[in-house]
Amino acid sequence: MEQLPLTESVLLILLSLIEQPRHGYSILKDVERMSDGRVVLSTGTLYGALRRLLDDDWIERFEEKETPRGRQAYRLTPQGRRNLQAEVNRMKHLTRLASLRVAAKES
Amino acid sequence: MLNVYQKLLLLYPKEHRAMFGEEMAQVFEKLRADILKKKRISRIGFWIRETSGLLSGALAQHLRLFGTEAALAFPKERFSMRNGFRFPKSTILFMALILGGVLIAIKKGQDIASSVPDVNPPLPVHIQPTHSILLGGMPLFFAFFYAAGLIGWAIVFALRRSGVHRLDQIAGEK
Repeated sequence: MEQLPLTESVLLILLSLIEQPRHGYSILKDVERMSDGRVVLSTGTLYGALRRLLDDDWIERFEEKETPRGRQAYRLTPQGRRNLQAEVNRMKHLTRLASLRVAAKES
Repeated sequence: MLNVYQKLLLLYPKEHRAMFGEEMAQVFEKLRADILKKKRISRIGFWIRETSGLLSGALAQHLRLFGTEAALAFPKERFSMRNGFRFPKSTILFMALILGGVLIAIKKGQDIASSVPDVNPPLPVHIQPTHSILLGGMPLFFAFFYAAGLIGWAIVFALRRSGVHRLDQIAGEK
């Protein structure tokens, strides 16, 4: 089961899917773009992560109708959206705490 | 190159290949087309990343599958039984206490038996041990109760109280 806190790769995959449903290649490119080329996923890593997210019902798979070969795409489920929001809130809290502590130390 | 990739995909469990194999190969083909436009060092990096990703991914999928099978073989939770057949958790404690009590009693009995000297005189030849007298009547004793049980069951069955007749009804419904 996918546990919080999420790994950076999984977080970026979910962030990629929150915008719109995407297929595998599009996810890879979006992750690379979001991280400014720092995170480049291999197909093995991507589909391992997608498999876990599918098993845990964080994302769902569906067939894109517009494409000629019925390409598979992925989108967030309501549960996945909630979990992503929880992770973002957790990170916000940590960032706020870290900023306060660092500011207190510097002053 | 795609052939090599597809050969490496064979390392994955069959069900993962069936679900994602074709899709992974398609994505790989697109990535390969992109990387051909880049420098040699990027192409080498791409191959290292893809190969290591596939190998670690295949291992992870096999471990996941093994974990699922192991979890099914050794369930951590209680078996899903109907409430009528489920025993409370405290039963285990009581059974352990009873077993402990029985073991202590056996040990005490052995200690007592070994501490008391054998003072019983040998039996005269004409007196038979009790158990050998009983043993002769044992088959008759069991036959009597077996017959009594059969008669009782026949009466219950005849009065249609045993519920056996309902089995025919259930079979008829199906």
